[in-house]
Amino acid sequence: MLIRDLIFLTSGSLTSHPLRSVLSALGIAVGVAAVILLTAMGEGLHSFVINQFSQFGTHLIAATPGKTKTHGAELGMFGNTRPLTIDDALALKRLPDVLGVSPMVQGNAEITTAGRARRVTLYGVGPEFEAVYRAEMASGRFLPLDDQRAPRAFAVMGSKASAELFGGANPLGKLIRVGGQRYRVIGELKPKGQMLGFDLDDTVFIPTARALELFNRDGVMEIDVLHHAEAPPERVEADMRALLMARHGSEDFTITSQKKQLEVLDSVLSVLTFAVAALGSISLAVGGVGILTLMTIAVSERTSEIGLLTALGARHRQIMAMFLGEAAGLAALGGLAGLLLGLGIAMGLAGLVPALPVRIAWDYVLTAEIVAVSIGILAGIAPARRAAKLEPVEALRAE
Amino acid sequence: MKIADTFRLAWSSLASQPGRSALIALAMSIGVGAVVVLTALGEGAKGYVLDQFAGLGTHLVIVLPGRAETTGSTPGVLSGQSTRDLTLEDAEAVRHLRGVVRVAPLNIGVAQINRGSLSREVVVLGSNADLLDIRHMKLSQGRFLPVGPMDRATPVCVLGEQVRAELFGASGGLNDWVRLGDRRFRVVGILGGQGQQMGFNTDESVVVPVAAAQQLFNTASLFRILVEAEGRAAVEPVKAALTATLKTRHENKEDVTVLTQDAILATFDKILTALTLAVAGIAGISLGVAGILIMNVMLVSVTQRRHEIGLLKALGAPSATVRHLFLAEAALMATMGAIGGLLLGQLASAGLRGLYPDLPAAAPVWAMLAAVGTAVGAGLLFAWLPARRAARMEAAQALARR
Repeated sequence: MLIRDLIFLTSGSLTSHPLRSVLSALGIAVGVAAVILLTAMGEGLHSFVINQFSQFGTHLIAATPGKTKTHGAELGMFGNTRPLTIDDALALKRLPDVLGVSPMVQGNAEITTAGRARRVTLYGVGPEFEAVYRAEMASGRFLPLDDQRAPRAFAVMGSKASAELFGGANPLGKLIRVGGQRYRVIGELKPKGQMLGFDLDDTVFIPTARALELFNRDGVMEIDVLHHAEAPPERVEADMRALLMARHGSEDFTITSQKKQLEVLDSVLSVLTFAVAALGSISLAVGGVGILTLMTIAVSERTSEIGLLTALGARHRQIMAMFLGEAAGLAALGGLAGLLLGLGIAMGLAGLVPALPVRIAWDYVLTAEIVAVSIGILAGIAPARRAAKLEPVEALRAE
Repeated sequence: MKIADTFRLAWSSLASQPGRSALIALAMSIGVGAVVVLTALGEGAKGYVLDQFAGLGTHLVIVLPGRAETTGSTPGVLSGQSTRDLTLEDAEAVRHLRGVVRVAPLNIGVAQINRGSLSREVVVLGSNADLLDIRHMKLSQGRFLPVGPMDRATPVCVLGEQVRAELFGASGGLNDWVRLGDRRFRVVGILGGQGQQMGFNTDESVVVPVAAAQQLFNTASLFRILVEAEGRAAVEPVKAALTATLKTRHENKEDVTVLTQDAILATFDKILTALTLAVAGIAGISLGVAGILIMNVMLVSVTQRRHEIGLLKALGAPSATVRHLFLAEAALMATMGAIGGLLLGQLASAGLRGLYPDLPAAAPVWAMLAAVGTAVGAGLLFAWLPARRAARMEAAQALARR
């Protein structure tokens, strides 16, 4: 039998019962559409989160006090017998390929201006924070390059804190009070939005040394190091480790590169996408059972047709191919319809609700199609074998 | 026709096509089973979290320094650094409030622990004697921190089981001396193995008196104050009293955050319930697919059984009877599938419980009812078209054509 004949025969039998074929294909289509839609959402979330994290740049390496690997949370920042200090940060700054260093301490403080008060997240940062975290100024300038150990009392406001405290008026040059000390506002940051529940705009930035004094601490919570884009992060990490070891005498700190964190996050989110794809493919499996049922019915209905074909000398393999082709064709058609449906809904969603991160995961789209066709073929095997094994005489007598 | 007769007839026609009926039931049961297993998983996760919280203490009110005005930030992200310290005196003042049973100040940090040449980084919890009961910790040997004024830095410590094992080997440790940072402490007790709790492992921590921890970490501020209320009803009054007292003590400024465990619990509960519903909904799509399958097969069987329908009509069966016959068939198939799915789901949940004893995976009754209801509903809904087609057949036409 020629391929062309095979296709002709198969499509003929599919079109002879249009409603039945459409419904069988519909089962697969719903499954494929579910997989495509869900993975599009999963992938959208994936890229959204990764973007949120990499907006600060990917050439960051952070050193945090304390070394306990088994804990999810880094408790070293709350209390430590061997703190990381501003001097450590200044030493790190002298390493090769290091572009900027920002020792960071974070806390909560009440800011008062003439007549207004507000509790905000207070960050103690170095003057290089602007470069390290890619902060953009809306007006004014960031903290000046003072002596890190005794910086002047300047403050930079986040956009929301500024709006709340100054009511939209220009904050530059105004005085604010942070825990009893006066600071002059020299800049305002552009809005950054929320990240994982942190409002990055309801913030005030002051020099690290002054924040440490305010919070009555010896050590910073984190030292962020921005390294040269071409420098291998592993080497910078090793340099940092060696330097801090030399300064502290033992490894009582943890070094995490942004790249490594992103990799971990990436793998977690990939698992998530895979999980929703697996959930969606339950429907695909049910659709497969549907094709199996329909093919079983078709074989029993077309017993005489099969008998005639066999009597005329058709081989087992040819009969098999016919029924398998039918099953695969149904599944492929369903898959195609599902593809269009899924893509359509995903794009519609992306258009209607721009806030919802939707990104089509083409690898999953392709996988869903392949799985759909394979399910069709698998579902076709049992009925096709039964059809091929029919004895022509028996089959013809069935009528 | 009686209902019983309808179902008997429907059953016999299903039984005449066992393979086909079994396949449809299989499709339904995959869908129902998936819903049951996934909701069981979600419920299990919820139960697990609740258990973990119960292990952290009951009727707890937690005080942490600092306050955020933007409500978007979750309390957990407050780093606990504030310009205004939460002090031991605050904890002492809180102890005398009405409805308060126990108060444990808490300082937390990381320090090097040494014994001879062995050394290791551990988490140090600074607290008082009440911590044992508040956090439901268990001692395996010795006693806990001594009862006494909070500001006394008695040089004693209680080791977590794993810390003890790594410093002292198979046995021993009690009444020995260890060095934490630059201070020496006598080991007065060993904590029983408690394992991981909310990402925090007491087996790898060391508990010392809070004043000693403050000296160790050179801080005057507390990380948290844990307050246990008398009972569930006392939680809210205690929270209000705490807030008022601390406000008065802090020069009339509300610069602390007071959380109740119930509030944190409610948030988790809400998130996990939403997640369970979403996952069950996704699995529920497969029930729709199974419904399409029922419709398809019923359409085929309406065509195949034209003679039978024609005969029924010729014998005077009204349209409604024929329709009921087909609907009954669909309902039977869907129900069989649903029951199969329930069994499958229960079996899988039991397997999950066997594999992960910590996870109390059991599908809630509402989910099972909803799954079965949706399955039967989908079956009936999708059988409506074929049943109508059968009911509308003309007797003569149906009998005439071959």
